[in-house]
Amino acid sequence: MRVLAFITVIITGLILIYGAQDLPNWGDPNSPASLHVSPRYIEKTMEETATPNMVTSVLADYRGYDTLGETTVIFTAGISCILILRERKRRKKKKS
Amino acid sequence: MLQAPVLIVVIPLMFTFVALILGLWKKGLCYPIVLIALSLSFLATLQTLNIVITSGTIHYRLGNWSPPWGIEYVVDYLNAFVLPVISFVAIMVAIYSKKSIEKELPDKVVYFYCIFLLQVTGFLGIVVTGDMFNLYVFLEIASLSGYALISMGEDGAPIASFNYLIFGTIGACFYLLGVGYLYAATGSLNMADLAKLLPNLYGSRVILVGFSFFMVGLALKMALFPLHVWLPDAYTHAPSSVSALLAPLMTKVGAYVLIRVTYTVFKPYFSIEILPATTILSWIAAAAIIFGAAMALAQTDLKRMLTYILVSEVGYLALGIGLGNRNGLTGAILHILNDAFMMLALFMVVGAIIYRYGGRRISQLRYLHKKMPFTMAVFVIVALSVIGIPPTCGFFSKWYLLLGAINAHGWIFVAVLLVSSLLNAILFFRVIENVYLEPHDGDVVENHDIVVSVEEAPLTMLVPILITGAGILSLGVLSGKIISTIIQFAIPAGF
Amino acid sequence: MFDLIVSKYNYWIYIILMMIGFYAMIGKKNLIKKVIGMNIFQTAIILFFVSTASKKGGTLPIIMHGHGEHAVNAASYINPLPHVLMLTAIVVMVSTLGVALAILIVIYRKYHTLEEDEILRFHK
Repeated sequence: MRVLAFITVIITGLILIYGAQDLPNWGDPNSPASLHVSPRYIEKTMEETATPNMVTSVLADYRGYDTLGETTVIFTAGISCILILRERKRRKKKKS
Repeated sequence: MLQAPVLIVVIPLMFTFVALILGLWKKGLCYPIVLIALSLSFLATLQTLNIVITSGTIHYRLGNWSPPWGIEYVVDYLNAFVLPVISFVAIMVAIYSKKSIEKELPDKVVYFYCIFLLQVTGFLGIVVTGDMFNLYVFLEIASLSGYALISMGEDGAPIASFNYLIFGTIGACFYLLGVGYLYAATGSLNMADLAKLLPNLYGSRVILVGFSFFMVGLALKMALFPLHVWLPDAYTHAPSSVSALLAPLMTKVGAYVLIRVTYTVFKPYFSIEILPATTILSWIAAAAIIFGAAMALAQTDLKRMLTYILVSEVGYLALGIGLGNRNGLTGAILHILNDAFMMLALFMVVGAIIYRYGGRRISQLRYLHKKMPFTMAVFVIVALSVIGIPPTCGFFSKWYLLLGAINAHGWIFVAVLLVSSLLNAILFFRVIENVYLEPHDGDVVENHDIVVSVEEAPLTMLVPILITGAGILSLGVLSGKIISTIIQFAIPAGF
Repeated sequence: MFDLIVSKYNYWIYIILMMIGFYAMIGKKNLIKKVIGMNIFQTAIILFFVSTASKKGGTLPIIMHGHGEHAVNAASYINPLPHVLMLTAIVVMVSTLGVALAILIVIYRKYHTLEEDEILRFHK
């Protein structure tokens, strides 16, 4: 079983390394990720959202729906923990 | 009513809070609130389908930011077809779950219904969105609720749920890695925008690896053959209502996302010609069909047998996607609808048997045709549908899959489909034969109970079972109309 | 060849970290070690994503010293979008960790062990 896991891990790692050869270099200012969508977030953040913090303006304004989803994830985890961990109260409460 | 696409997701979400607060005050208020929320959501899905049929694809911008800078909901025929299926299954299980949950989880009813609504929110959010990262967020909502719900069951449930957690997290992380690779290579997260940008990059290794990680991650979530190992344990040990909710929906939503990624984001030209992904997918699907049917034959526990039939049905879906022609894809999309109804009916019937009698080994089911006549009649109808006998709906989806396999000159797939129908027939006739015999001692129905009158499942459990059974028959008759109105236009462009 | 390794060294480091976490998730028998491996795997993915956001000579994605008085050049600030996505991913990671540990508490209460082999022996 360990051998199978080890082989799976090696194969996955090799596929990832093979694919990463064509990724943009580290810190490249001309990578597609820096040229396509994000310049508008950086340049227009003061006009459109009046927030100097760009991360906040994307998180709460441009992609605010993802933030709603994220808070729902926390809520789900909280209610799940109550659902999983709650035990019926015993007749005699043990004082610890 | 232009806000319909977003109301589908927001209504169950907001009603979760209402259900939690009102339920902690008075426990009896939970159940009506859940029904109201799911009915409103179902009406919104029908309204969305109506708008799509009359005016074409809906582009709904959240926050009024134009894509790709904001999140966008794109509802075309495929989306609008899967949404009412999910809502309808959720309503049926919600009506069904009242008695069953009161028996199995008496002190956690409020929290159960909150997680129930969140689970349905997650599924609806996955199907309706047009943004890759938004899909990941809702996938995690659905997954976390699933882990919690499954761990509520009987003996082996916590360890089965933990196993599912590990596998499900690997699947979601692989999906996120795929999104990351695609983002680093193109800079965009919107599905329509990626479909425009990717054809220039088809030779790049990054796109290739991103696509492979999508496939493996979605196969883990969908329980496609070698990666299905979490499914039998998880759905066998879960409570009856949870199996009835998750079994029809989780795999279908996974198949929907697979169609989206394979044919809408990456054009069919990529998935079929450049990378032989669909060929590999169809061979794995054929193995899944035979494996599922063969393992189901070896089971003595009825619920476990049904989970292996589910593995086989996922094989049908993947085969339809992998065949890569119009007929195959029509069969796959129609099978999403049909299989949701079939699995819903099967798991609800098993839940009713467990509720009434507590036993579920196949050899203990004798004489049930006298004690639960309506439930067993629906079981026979569903059995005919899984085998594929007209006029039940299962026949029509198998017919289109057969046509697709013949069009693609895959004679092995034709043989696999026919052999699996035969194996399904053997499986179900074994159960039905047991049901229609006289009882022995140690069975579910004892010898001295023969003269006692009919003891059916309670009404809130019987009505959804009957509605689903009637639905299976009527969907079969209406298949032609469904295909010509909706599915014909749901097939992604390029075929 | 050497150039390839040096210019993209962030990706190689994070991929190795991911594989360490992935091996712990599937190869170890103790359930707590699996959860720790899951945490390492998800953290490495988050770091991988964030490393695609950096730009040479770019500063933090916050406009300092005055609001809207001067033009903003996109090349002098790093890309804010991966940071936003990874904030959500961190929250998802912590929630999954919470639910996993809750399920482990229930498993421990029931079987009094956290080794996978011993738990499977209960079910044979």
